[in-house]
Amino acid sequence: MHIPDGYLSPSTCGILVGAATPFWYTALRRVQKTFSTRMIPLLSVFAAFSFVIMMFNLPLPGGTTGHAVGMGVASIVLGPWASMLAISIALVIQAVFFGDGGITAIGANCFNMAIVGSLVGYAIYRLIGFRATLGSARRVLGAGIAGYVAINIAAFCAAIEFGIQPILFHDISGAPLYAPYPLSVSVPAMMLGHLTLAGLAEFIISAGIIAYLQRTDVGLLRRTASDAPDFDDAAPSAPDAISLPTARKLWLGLALLLILTPLGILAVGSAWGEWSAQELSDPQVRPQIAAASGNQLPPGRVPGGLERLSTIWTAPLSRYAPAFIRSPSFGYLVSGLVGVGLIIASCLLGTGLLSKGSSESPRERAWMPSNRTRRKSFVEKTMRSLLEAMQHTLFAEDMAAAGGLLQRFDPRVKLIGIAALIVAAIAVRRISVLAGIFLAAILLALLSHLPIRVLATRVWLAVAVFTGAIALPAIFLTPGQIVYRLPFLEWSATHQGLRAAAFLVLRAETAATLSALLILTTLWTHLLAALRSVRLPTVLVAILGMTYRYMFLFLQIARDMFESRESRLVGILAPSDRRRLAAASAGVLLGKSLQLSGEVHIAMMARGFRGQIRLLDERKMGWTNWLRAAGFVAFAAAAVWLGR
Amino acid sequence: MRETVSDLAFEVNDLSYRYLQVAALNGLSMRVHRGERVALLGANGSGKSTLLRLLAGLYFPEHGDISFFGGKLTEQRLENEEFFFRFRRRVGMVFQNPDIQLFNPSVFDEVAFGPLQLQWPKDQIRKQVGETLELMGIAHLRDRAPHRLSGGEKKRVALASVLVLDPEVLLLDEPSAALDPGSQAQIVEFLVSWGDRSKTVITATHDLDTLEDIADRCYVLENGAVAGEGTPLAVLHDVALLERTKLVRPHHHVHGEGAAQPHPHLHQHKTD
Repeated sequence: MHIPDGYLSPSTCGILVGAATPFWYTALRRVQKTFSTRMIPLLSVFAAFSFVIMMFNLPLPGGTTGHAVGMGVASIVLGPWASMLAISIALVIQAVFFGDGGITAIGANCFNMAIVGSLVGYAIYRLIGFRATLGSARRVLGAGIAGYVAINIAAFCAAIEFGIQPILFHDISGAPLYAPYPLSVSVPAMMLGHLTLAGLAEFIISAGIIAYLQRTDVGLLRRTASDAPDFDDAAPSAPDAISLPTARKLWLGLALLLILTPLGILAVGSAWGEWSAQELSDPQVRPQIAAASGNQLPPGRVPGGLERLSTIWTAPLSRYAPAFIRSPSFGYLVSGLVGVGLIIASCLLGTGLLSKGSSESPRERAWMPSNRTRRKSFVEKTMRSLLEAMQHTLFAEDMAAAGGLLQRFDPRVKLIGIAALIVAAIAVRRISVLAGIFLAAILLALLSHLPIRVLATRVWLAVAVFTGAIALPAIFLTPGQIVYRLPFLEWSATHQGLRAAAFLVLRAETAATLSALLILTTLWTHLLAALRSVRLPTVLVAILGMTYRYMFLFLQIARDMFESRESRLVGILAPSDRRRLAAASAGVLLGKSLQLSGEVHIAMMARGFRGQIRLLDERKMGWTNWLRAAGFVAFAAAAVWLGR
Repeated sequence: MRETVSDLAFEVNDLSYRYLQVAALNGLSMRVHRGERVALLGANGSGKSTLLRLLAGLYFPEHGDISFFGGKLTEQRLENEEFFFRFRRRVGMVFQNPDIQLFNPSVFDEVAFGPLQLQWPKDQIRKQVGETLELMGIAHLRDRAPHRLSGGEKKRVALASVLVLDPEVLLLDEPSAALDPGSQAQIVEFLVSWGDRSKTVITATHDLDTLEDIADRCYVLENGAVAGEGTPLAVLHDVALLERTKLVRPHHHVHGEGAAQPHPHLHQHKTD
C-alpha cells in the first residue's frame, strides 16, 4: 500500500499533504499535552516497532505470507493521535531512507495508513470493546477487527486516489499521466489483496498482540479503555487467552467480515465507477471503441470508457456469449477482475523471474518436504527481510562516506535539490523531458561514484518489475487510438495506453533513482542535522532520530529472536502454530520495546531532560552550497517549464 | 555537626522501594563521603541498580530518605527547575546497558545531549564535547551512529556522555559488564585515574577482580539490604559472606599440568 512516486499527480500529493497537516498538528499538540515527558521515547520506540513489524511475514492460509502495518496495535496502545505520529514517522523513514513509498507521496501514504488507519482502528476497537473488561476476549476480537478494517479502509483510500488520476490528469492525446486505471479497476485490484492477505496479517498481529498484552502487561491497554470496568484488574484472564472457543469466535467474525466487505466494496466501487465513466466518455473515442468491439455500437447509456473496458472481455466471445455477459454492469466486474488478474499474473511472473536469479539453489528446495519448506519460508523470509534492511543501511552509510560529487554537497542542498527534481519529474507532461531528468540523475550517480550495477539491480530492475507489472495492462485497458491488435485475443494496444505505461514506468524509475541518490550519498546523521535547520519542530526531529536509532536495535532483537526460535524448532509446525509463533514474537518485541522506552526515558532524565528537546544548531551554509541549491532548483524549474 | 553532614555525599536511611509488588530495597542504610570511592557488591537482583537509580533521583523511595550533601533529595525538590539542573550537573549516572543510554543518532549528539539540556552556551558545548571525545579516545567516532559501534566503544561513549558535564558524583552500574577483557581493563584503568580522587564514585558491580582498583570501601547487598561492609580486602577475605551472598561459589577443580588456564582465586580448595 506504499504509494511510490509517479503514481499520483503533484496536485493530488499536495492536497493530501494539506489534508494530513491539520491532523499532524493536532496530534502533536495533543500528544505534547497528554503524555508528559515520557512521550518522546514512547513514540519513537513505537514508530520503530511499527517499522520492524512491517517486515514480519505472517504465514497465512494457503501457504503464502503477508505483512501488517501495525496501525491497529498502535492506535489501541497509544490512542489515535500518538499512533498517527508514530506510524507517520515510520513511513517517512521508509520513504526517505529505504526508498519504500514515494517522497512526494508521503502525504498520501501518511494520510491513508497513519491518519485514516489510526482513526478507524481506534473507533472500531472502542466500539467493539465497549465496556468489556480489559482482559476479555471481546477486546481481542475488537483489536483484530479494528486492524482488519483499518488496513482495508486505508487501502480503499489509496485505491480512490489511484482511481481518480486517469479522470483528472491526461495529456493532449488523452493518455493518463499518472496511475492509469479508473476506479472500476483500481478499487477491486487494491481490495483483493487487502481483504485477504494483508487484512488477515493485520488481524492476526492486532489480536495476537492484544491477547499477549492482556497476559503480560494489562496496564498498557488502559489508556484507550476508560470505559472498562475497574474491578477486573486482578481478574485472572485465562493464561491461554486465545483458547479454542475464542479462536473459533475470532475466525467466525473474520469469515463474516470476508463475506460482507466485498459486497459493500463492490456496491461502492460501481458507484464510483459510474462517475468515472461519465468523466471518461469522449465522443471522439466512441467510434473507435465501436470498431474495437466487433462493430457493436455501445449502448447509449453506458459511457464510452467503461464500455471499452468491458468489451475487452466480451470481444473475443461476443458472438456466442449469452446476453447477460454483454450487460454493462457485468462488464464492470469482469473488466475489473481481468485487470486485477493481469496485474497479479505479471507480478508473479516478475518475481518468479527475479527469484530464479537469486542465489538459492532450487534443487535444495525441491528436496525438502513441502511442509518443511513452508515453515522455513516464513521464518526465513522474515529473517531475510530483517537482514536486508540492516545491510541496506550499512551499505548506504559506506557509500555516503566515500568521496564523490554529491557526497561533498551540504545535506540541505541535496534534500532540497533532489526533492525539487522529483517534483519536476512528476510534474512534467512530456516524455522527452522526463527522460532528460532521468539522464541527469544517472550523470549525478556517475559523478558520485555510485556503482551503476547496484542502481541497476536494486533500483531499476525492482521498479521495472513492480511498476512494469502495473503498467502493462494499461496498454490494453486505456481507451484511445489503436496501434496494434493482439492476434486471437483481439486485445488492442492503444497509443494512449502505450504513452500511459511509458509515463508511469519512466516517472517511477526517475523518482526512485533520485531518491537512491539522496540515500546513498548522505550520512543519516548529517541529514538529521539538516532537518533541524529547515524549521521542523525539534520534537519531531528528536523522535525521528530516536526512531531511526532504535529501529536497528529492534531489527537486531527480532533477528536474534527468530534465529533462536529456528534453532530450537525441530519438526513441522502446524499452520496455526506458525501464526501463533509470529504473533507471539511480535508481542514479545512490543513488550521489549515498551520496557525499553521506559528505560530510555529514565536515562534521558538522568542527563537533565525535562520534556523539552534542545538541539545544537548546525553551522550556516556557505555560498557554494547556496549556488548548488540554486542550480538544482533552476534545473528543476526549467524541466517543468519545458515539459509543461 | 554541620561540617560532618555536608561532608557526606550521600546519606541513606532505612530505604525501601518496590517494583509493582516485588520488594527491591528493604530498609537499606548507608553513607558515602565526599571524594570516596564506594563499590556496591551483590548478586543479580540484590538491589544494586535500584539503589543507584534512587541515588540519581530517578526513582523515589517508598519509605526512608536520602540526603545529598546535607539536603534532602525528594521528588518535590527535583520538580524545581533550578534544583533539578544543579543536581543533574553534579550527579552523573552511567547505565549498565549502553543501548538505553545512547539514544541519539550520532556520537557527537550523544555527548552534547547533557550540556544542551543544561543550557550551556553553544560554543562552550562544542568545545567541551570535542575535549571529552579526545579524552576518551573516541574523537574518530564523532559522526558514527551508536548502532555501528562495538560494545567497548559504546561503553566509552556512554561514559563520555556523562563525563562531559564533569560531575562531582559518578554513579556507575556494572561498568565492565559484557565487555571483552581488553575493553574491561581500559574502562577500569580510566576510572582509576579519573578525577584525582576529588570525585565521589559509586560503582555497582559483581566483578571481584577489579574491586581493589576501583573502591576504597564496599557495601555487600543482599535482598535489598546491607549484608556486610568494609574495605575491599576485608570483604574479599570474608569468604562466608561472599558465599552467602552468591558472589563466589565453592567448586572443585584440578591444578597442575593439563589444568584449565590460570585464574585468580577466591575460593577454598578442598583437600580431601
